[in-house]
Amino acid sequence: MSLLRAITSGLRALFHKKRVAQELDEELHGFQEMAVEEKIKQELSREQALRAVRLEHGSTESTKEQVRSANWETLLETCWQDLRFALRTLRKSPGFTVVAVLTLGLGIGATTAIFCVMNSVLLKPLAMQDPGRVVYVQEQWHGLFPGLSIGNYSDVRAQNTSFAKLGASHNGSFNLATQSRPERVEGEYVTADYFETFGVHPVLGRVFSTEEDRPGRGQVVVLSERLWRTRFRADRAIVGNTVRINGTPYTVVGVMPNSFDPLLSKTDLWTPAGFTAEQLANHDDHFLDVIGRLKPEISREQAQSELNVIANRLQRQYPSDDKDRGLRLVLLSTALLGDQRLALGMLLAAVAFLLLIACANIANLQLARSRMRQREIAVRAALGASPKRIIRQLLTENMALGLAGGAFGVLLAYAGVKEIVTFGPAEVPRLAETQIDATALTFSCTIALLASVLFGLVPALRSASTQLTETIKVGIGTSSGSRDRFRSLLVVGEFALALFLMTGAGLLIRSGLLVAHVDPGFDTANLLVGRISLPDPSFHDPAAARRTFESIMAAAGSLPGVLESAIVSRAPLAGGASSNGIIAEGQAIDPSNALNAQIQIVSPSYLSTVRIPLKVGRDFTVLDTRDAGLVAIVNETLARTLWPDANAIGKRFACCEPGPKGGQDPAWHEIVGVVADVRAWGLDQQVQPQFYVPIAQMPPSSWDWVGRTMDLTVRTRSDVISRGALQSAVDSVAPGVPIYQLSTMTQKIAGKLERSHFDTFLLTLFAAAALLLSSVGIYGVMSFVVTQRRRDIGIRMALGATRERILRDVLRQGMKLTVAGLVVGLAGALLGMQFLDSLLYGVQSSDPATFAIVCLVLCATATLASYVPARRATRVDPMVTLRHE
Amino acid sequence: MTDKSSDLVQGTLDMLILKTLALEPMHGWGVAVRIEQISKGVFRVNAGSLFVAFQRLQRAGLIKSEWKATENNRRAKYYILTEQGRKTLSSETREWERQVAAIARILEAS
Repeated sequence: MSLLRAITSGLRALFHKKRVAQELDEELHGFQEMAVEEKIKQELSREQALRAVRLEHGSTESTKEQVRSANWETLLETCWQDLRFALRTLRKSPGFTVVAVLTLGLGIGATTAIFCVMNSVLLKPLAMQDPGRVVYVQEQWHGLFPGLSIGNYSDVRAQNTSFAKLGASHNGSFNLATQSRPERVEGEYVTADYFETFGVHPVLGRVFSTEEDRPGRGQVVVLSERLWRTRFRADRAIVGNTVRINGTPYTVVGVMPNSFDPLLSKTDLWTPAGFTAEQLANHDDHFLDVIGRLKPEISREQAQSELNVIANRLQRQYPSDDKDRGLRLVLLSTALLGDQRLALGMLLAAVAFLLLIACANIANLQLARSRMRQREIAVRAALGASPKRIIRQLLTENMALGLAGGAFGVLLAYAGVKEIVTFGPAEVPRLAETQIDATALTFSCTIALLASVLFGLVPALRSASTQLTETIKVGIGTSSGSRDRFRSLLVVGEFALALFLMTGAGLLIRSGLLVAHVDPGFDTANLLVGRISLPDPSFHDPAAARRTFESIMAAAGSLPGVLESAIVSRAPLAGGASSNGIIAEGQAIDPSNALNAQIQIVSPSYLSTVRIPLKVGRDFTVLDTRDAGLVAIVNETLARTLWPDANAIGKRFACCEPGPKGGQDPAWHEIVGVVADVRAWGLDQQVQPQFYVPIAQMPPSSWDWVGRTMDLTVRTRSDVISRGALQSAVDSVAPGVPIYQLSTMTQKIAGKLERSHFDTFLLTLFAAAALLLSSVGIYGVMSFVVTQRRRDIGIRMALGATRERILRDVLRQGMKLTVAGLVVGLAGALLGMQFLDSLLYGVQSSDPATFAIVCLVLCATATLASYVPARRATRVDPMVTLRHE
Repeated sequence: MTDKSSDLVQGTLDMLILKTLALEPMHGWGVAVRIEQISKGVFRVNAGSLFVAFQRLQRAGLIKSEWKATENNRRAKYYILTEQGRKTLSSETREWERQVAAIARILEAS
């Protein structure tokens, strides 16, 4: 009650300041008059009476002050006064204010935005229960880490004691029938305990029962929330209804939340794997994604040693399939996001560096300013301001500065994240989920503001301890004390850090440029690629599948604007290819002699469509069918690996299927041609041994390996050919089958480059911010040096120094700081960049060109930044400065 | 200038003002004079303390004020005890008497 009254009456006093003051004035005046009258009654003159009253009660002014200062609203008022004064002071030195706000804003905004992106992509735990216990299980064979065979998975699942749950999944082709047009969706076949392994529950309905995960029972499907919302308009009645997938009705049993994308594969539906007895006995096809949840008391090491025991048992049990085969587990997040420790360390260091540069800048500006203000503060102290009052005033001023900078920083952070998400590499997982993280924002704000306020208070603290008269007497002198040296050190440090960041970014950019100019091995211009999956039941017959693909190819080839078309199992850079062990003729038919090579099943038109140069031998023809001898074309890497000294043409190797006599009898493929290497996995990836097999000779079982999925490649006259045209070509042959992942080869290359250079992209942003901040730093220091030295400069000019001379001197001083910073930075960078070696392609971490360019850029920026204040120095009028004091 | 009020126990001035106003509404000068007279000159209240106290009491809702003409036909601000002020005064008086009695007993005992 009384608090409320205190507030309302305080507010009244604030808003009706004049009236309240008048009332008090009148009341006190009345009081005084009455007191005076009383005294006059004691026979004093009016003059004497007034004097007596004043002696007794103090002047009305001091009474008023006493009454006023007892109020809370008065404190508010002086704060307001402080704030107004602060704003006026800041407005009076716009250079300082703008630079300080920019620095604070850039420091806070850039570090927060980039940190939040990193956090979302790399640091944030996967959206599942206790991700630290979820592991990815792989086989280990001759330095490769394939998935598990169904047989091995089922044995590991039955024999292990380490896993609470062990689920498996593999991709499948799912053509979803909707009203408008058939649509290809990413889906997975999963075991019943797959969902429980991640501990994520459906938002609607349920997941599969073990009963449904049996062969022939699995006509049920779980949808992703994304698919449910986009295709089924978030209809809650969908559960229990049927949808048509691959031409067969499936009952929808549940919907998984958007956050559930455990393998980051953008999966839209899951159906039960329902392994048959035949599949469960298969130990030879290694493709399952196996994910396990460790029991609470089991460590990863314990689980790994148990896997080793099981692997040994499997090797003995299935010598032909599991010879030399081990099992290993890695943390799921490591398996998915890669071992990001190096990149992460690099980016975190970059964040820290940038924040340090920003803080050094702020400290520098504040210190420089404090020198200028020392006199002003000394005067105020001499006039009776208490240290407390001065500190409060400076604090207000720095708070105002900090708030402006902070607000700018927050805006920048939000805008930055938005820009990065929009223009960042599209393929980076989880990038789109980036959000401003309150903790990160608070952290960088706190650091930057602390630096600002701390160094901003220096003059006040100093004024409390120094002799006022000394300070006032010294005035704006010519002294350059230890504080100037400290500020120079700060600038040197800033430049060193900036150089460090810039060489890091420079090396990565150079590496990226080199990668971009790598010859992919084929002609990427005007080449379109799209993927087509034939649904299994309708196209189960291998001959039918082959005929369909050949007809689609022919239909696409006859489209206007198309020069040539071809079919290939996996086009280069389109991701994923089957690999096969091949054994050269003359070596024992034993898995340990096998060379792991990638197989490409192609139509005879493929090499000419994609324009892979044939080095020796001949191309495939339509006559290469299974009735003729099996033939193959190999890439140069394979030829060189198996026959380093001989011509590979005419040589034979065994692979892919049993020979005519079955069992261990080899199926021999004769090499008829050698083609140039193609960088199938990405421009910066090593070329693998690769061989091509004509589609007419492909082993019937290989339709299952490739999932009845092939890439259609089309060479056009120009890039302009519509998706609709290609889809109609497919429709004319196989109605209801979609073509997907359609893009030009140039787009695919750009995508690969972007993805592998996400780190480069971020580091470049850092380097740009660092360059900007350290230029601001040197600009700030040089400006203050010039202002401080006005008098020196004036005297020198009066004594006959030319403007050029002054200009050169100021510039030289700036250069001295820059060069010192560069030397320190170079030493640090030479040491530090070694850690980048593994991220670089074709560049040494000590690449002289990069270092030279970075040094040049820094020098040029520093010169420019000190040129502006140097110019100002030359405009000093000696008469004005000398008269100044 | 003798400011005996500084010797007053903290909060006593408020009680004296309330007591004075309990007799009749009064202006600032009147209150000052009344306190001095009744205490036979022991307590002299200076203007600063007095008006700070008025403001405090008014904000606490114990007194209110209105402008009226004095007997000498001068405009002055009269302070009036509120109902809440009356209650506070009587409870504070009781508390005061209790304390004074206790202190007296301690002093007599020694």
